[in-house]
Amino acid sequence: MNVEDVFSSRLRIKIVKILMQMSELNISEIARRLGINHNAASRHLQVLEDEGILQQKVFGRIRLYRIKENSLKAKAIQNLIETWES
Amino acid sequence: MPRYRSIFKDETKLDISYVPSRLPHRDRELRLLMEFFSFLLQFPAKMTQRVIITGDIGTGKTALSQRFGVDIIREADKNGTNLRYVHVNCREYRGSLFMILHHIISLFYPNFPKRGYAAEELLRNFLNILDEENIYLILALDEFDSLVEREGSEGVYKLTRLQEMRQNKPQRFSIICILRDLKAIGALDASTRSTLQSNVISLEKYSKEQLRDILSDRASLAFKTLTVSEETLNLIAELASSEGGNARFGIELLWRAGKYADAENFDMVALECVRKAVSSIIPTVRKSDLASLSFHEKLFLLSISRRFKESENDHISLSEAEKAYNIVCEEFNIEPNSHTQLWKYLHSLSSIGIIETKVASVGSRGRTTIIYLSRIPARELEKELSALLEKEA
Repeated sequence: MNVEDVFSSRLRIKIVKILMQMSELNISEIARRLGINHNAASRHLQVLEDEGILQQKVFGRIRLYRIKENSLKAKAIQNLIETWES
Repeated sequence: MPRYRSIFKDETKLDISYVPSRLPHRDRELRLLMEFFSFLLQFPAKMTQRVIITGDIGTGKTALSQRFGVDIIREADKNGTNLRYVHVNCREYRGSLFMILHHIISLFYPNFPKRGYAAEELLRNFLNILDEENIYLILALDEFDSLVEREGSEGVYKLTRLQEMRQNKPQRFSIICILRDLKAIGALDASTRSTLQSNVISLEKYSKEQLRDILSDRASLAFKTLTVSEETLNLIAELASSEGGNARFGIELLWRAGKYADAENFDMVALECVRKAVSSIIPTVRKSDLASLSFHEKLFLLSISRRFKESENDHISLSEAEKAYNIVCEEFNIEPNSHTQLWKYLHSLSSIGIIETKVASVGSRGRTTIIYLSRIPARELEKELSALLEKEA
């Protein structure tokens, strides 16, 4: 996916911001915080995971998402957000 | 504003959550616990252990387990074993297996969701997490009886037997169950009981002397030097001993007495501060008890309270009390009663619980009755009795 496509979604940026704050959350909680439904959250999370920005851990039916460790893309986005919001 | 002075050096050493580095009179039990779990330091994945620690309130169950936790983790760190000790008070989670497990998981994954799955699923997740993080865990379940009460045999069975259902996987967690009375697990079915009851460590009540050692240890950590006298420690030990050998009660009393001493700007924890502390913790003598005493009993008790008010000793003898009584009778212009009568009064006062008595042998000949006034501040008692006697006279 091109960079403009990844950044074209406000929700995806919000997801990264939430995970920067909370470090780890399940899909339902992310959906609740964004005020969107489970499917939509799941779709955006999938995009971010495919791009190597997020990673997930599965415990039975529970999937916990976090920012991917040692991912250059994730670091770049975090830097961008931090610079922007500081 | 005057500068705030305190006789405390570090009052957190008297807090219930403080884990002392030394546990007086529990060395044997601590060693035993170490023995039970020593396998964790050599081959943690090969087996699992279940131990029950039982004993009355304030016999050091929690402190023993927590001390052990700190010690074994230190040993495991040296070995490079990823061992954790988690202490959970089941009552805080209303005895719910689900909430207890969720709490433990949240120590590793703080945002682990609370809803949407059953306790069994959570139990499996719990093991997955331990596998994932390669953690070996000692789970101390304090107030275990509340878990038994809420979950019954099934919940406890699941928890204790869970790992056995996993074939060819490492054993991940061992359990320490902490409870007051073994009867509580009598409610479980036989097979569940048998999984638990193999190793039981019973803690005996502390004796007065043992309580004194414990209090002395804590006092030296928490108070500045020379602020807590031998007499004060003896009195608190005596009180804690009469509360069923309850060390926690004694430690709380020591803390409160220190607070009263600070409030009065004293340089030491006076015996009177301990009496005040006791009357603030436990329900002491009701005013109606005092009012129902006979006139002479009141006079006698008044003289005892006056004697204690002036004394820094934790006890007085019957003959001292008698002398004081004679003076009081003179003050009230009344003929004093005989020694035998006073001895009877002493018994009735001690049976109500206002004073305590003990018979001690003095030197080579004879015995004497010793009187303790530990539960009520002498000053308050004197005030109350004076008011009552004034009405009657």
